[in-house]
Amino acid sequence: MSDDVVLVVDDEPQIRRLVRNVLAAEHVRVIEAANGRDAIDQAAAERPALIVLDLGLPDVQGADVCREVRGWSSAPIIVLSARHSDQEKVALLDAGADDYMTKPFSSSELQARVRAQLRRARLAPAAGPRPVIEIDGLEIDPVKPSLKRGGVAVHLTKTEWELLRTLLKHAGRTLTHQQLFRAVWGNSSGDMQQYLRVHVRSLRRKIESDPVRPKLIVTEPGVGYRFENEP
Amino acid sequence: MTRSVAPHARPLVRRREWIVWFAILAAATGGMLAFRTQLNEAHVALLYLLVVQGGSARGGRPLGFALAATAFLAFDLFFLPPFNTLVIQDPFNWLVLLAFLVTSVVSAQLLYRAQSEAEEARERAVEIDRLAALGAETLNAARAEQALTAIVAVIRSSLALDDCAVYMTDASSNDMRLATESGVGAESVAIPDRFLEWDERGGADAFFRPLQVRGTTVGVLRISRGGGLALTPAQVRVLDALAYYAALGVERVQLVAEAERAAALQEAHRAKDAVIASVSHDLRTPLTTIKGLAHEIAKSGDDRAEVIEEEADRLNTFVAQMLDLSRIATGGAAADVQANEAEDLLGAAAQQVAGRLGEHELRIDVNGGDALLFGRFDFAQMLRALVNLLENAAKYSPASAPIDLAAYRDGAWLVFEVADRGPGVPESERGRIFEPFYRRGDRAPDVGGVGLGLAIARGIVNAQGGDLTVSIRSGGGSVFRICVPAIAVDDLINERGATA
Repeated sequence: MSDDVVLVVDDEPQIRRLVRNVLAAEHVRVIEAANGRDAIDQAAAERPALIVLDLGLPDVQGADVCREVRGWSSAPIIVLSARHSDQEKVALLDAGADDYMTKPFSSSELQARVRAQLRRARLAPAAGPRPVIEIDGLEIDPVKPSLKRGGVAVHLTKTEWELLRTLLKHAGRTLTHQQLFRAVWGNSSGDMQQYLRVHVRSLRRKIESDPVRPKLIVTEPGVGYRFENEP
Repeated sequence: MTRSVAPHARPLVRRREWIVWFAILAAATGGMLAFRTQLNEAHVALLYLLVVQGGSARGGRPLGFALAATAFLAFDLFFLPPFNTLVIQDPFNWLVLLAFLVTSVVSAQLLYRAQSEAEEARERAVEIDRLAALGAETLNAARAEQALTAIVAVIRSSLALDDCAVYMTDASSNDMRLATESGVGAESVAIPDRFLEWDERGGADAFFRPLQVRGTTVGVLRISRGGGLALTPAQVRVLDALAYYAALGVERVQLVAEAERAAALQEAHRAKDAVIASVSHDLRTPLTTIKGLAHEIAKSGDDRAEVIEEEADRLNTFVAQMLDLSRIATGGAAADVQANEAEDLLGAAAQQVAGRLGEHELRIDVNGGDALLFGRFDFAQMLRALVNLLENAAKYSPASAPIDLAAYRDGAWLVFEVADRGPGVPESERGRIFEPFYRRGDRAPDVGGVGLGLAIARGIVNAQGGDLTVSIRSGGGSVFRICVPAIAVDDLINERGATA
């Protein structure tokens, strides 16, 4: 697995160096780009397994790089940003980014996220119809469908199953409210927020061991929800 | 403005017309006397009729009537036998005389009416011309102030005033600005002691008249003339129309000023956002490097690098707080207020403070458990407020004391409560602890932070139409309460959620 290529895009050489150091332990080959155009070219030429993308590029908007690359590549994209605007995060995730980190980030956290994304990318092609998922005392069979908690069957409504399947399908990745709503309800009319909140709450009450401190369905404030596959 | 029509002609002009026309009457009488024997009654009557009509046309109705009466007497006296007496021999001559009198009076009257109608029509035409010209001029004026200045000039000249000015109200303050023919003053002026009630026949030198557009008073028009200010009905009509133009002119000036203010404000907001974005980026990028490198060095066993990393984190927190505060202070914290659920917020808060509350246990109580608690707030910002309150509670509580976090419905409000077992906040400090950079006197300065957490929390809550208060907790400690508008959840959604 040592031949995985990771593309690091940042106009600050110090940050590129830092990310390179963090990735040193991951047995990957790191290539670098200092601007958006170069990043797109390198992504096309080298077909990296993962892209770490800074948002404050001098030439192209980060979100545009995301969208462009996402057009022909499924490599996970982790965005680094110095800004904290939730709308920006939402726009990035909608543009196809898989994860984002706010500067200044901790090295171990970046390492963990990179590892998780790489693993997900490697697993993805073999995904297919997955067998029963066992997690945190739960047995989930999304195909059947059935859910057991501590060996006891738990009933989920149709909507709750749709929600859980959507979250499971993108486990580890933050889904925006919009993305979730579209996947579960098929359109975005009505009070999207209210529907989503009500059903996330009832689903949590059925699958979380402590619904007030959820470990599986994690809230990304102002952005959306993420299913944590390694709580 | 000179007037030639009888009712308003100057007395001097009127007197001259009378002298001239009576002289003409006398001359005609004298002339006819010379040929008295060759003339019959018809000649005399026709010539006198000409004189009466001429007099009426030039000197107006009174002169016409006076000439008719005099001619009537002269006719009888000099041209109806027996001459030089008022006696009339032939009864048919009575008919001639009476017919002459009636004809001349009626013709004088008709002439007068036709003339005054013509004059009125001419005046109207002038008035309409003037208004049309003024309308075109004001619509054409490049700047709103120029249009208003032009209107003021027209009012002054068309009513022969000595002075005309417009006091404009200012939307942003109680001051008034003054517009005169020479321009619109930039400075505000003192409001005159009293604006007299408008009365166009009052006879004073100056009047004030309110200027209104669609029922709103936008200013006051002041007009004055040295010799008194009696206006004719036609002038009052002109003034009415011009005053409306002036009101529209003032409104335009005000709208332009408002638009300029809004544009300036928007520009300021844009500049501020740009500064915040650039400060964010320029401070955080080097902090990322410092933190990352310190982390690397710490791994190789140098304790001092850990301190560097911690300090970088602290600096980052401070930068974030300063940016939050500046956004709140300038009203730039545009809240994304939506329907949100309480349990979700408490869970996110618990997740975010995990590992940051030291030894304090965080106990969460969602009132009742099964009831859905919905409120209208910005999730991410409210989370920040709540986290600030939790960190504040941890800071001031004894190490072993748990911190209680709760949510419940209270009438129209959804309440989030953070309760600690700290020393409590004395009555005298309850308002001040929410001020930026305020630190409680009973705490050592090493407690950490710079005293922005509570100020930010209150700013966030207030910006969303909520309230943040602090009170004494029974049994010791403080309770911080955030109230936001609660939402009654659609029953339909509940049913669907339960049965779908």
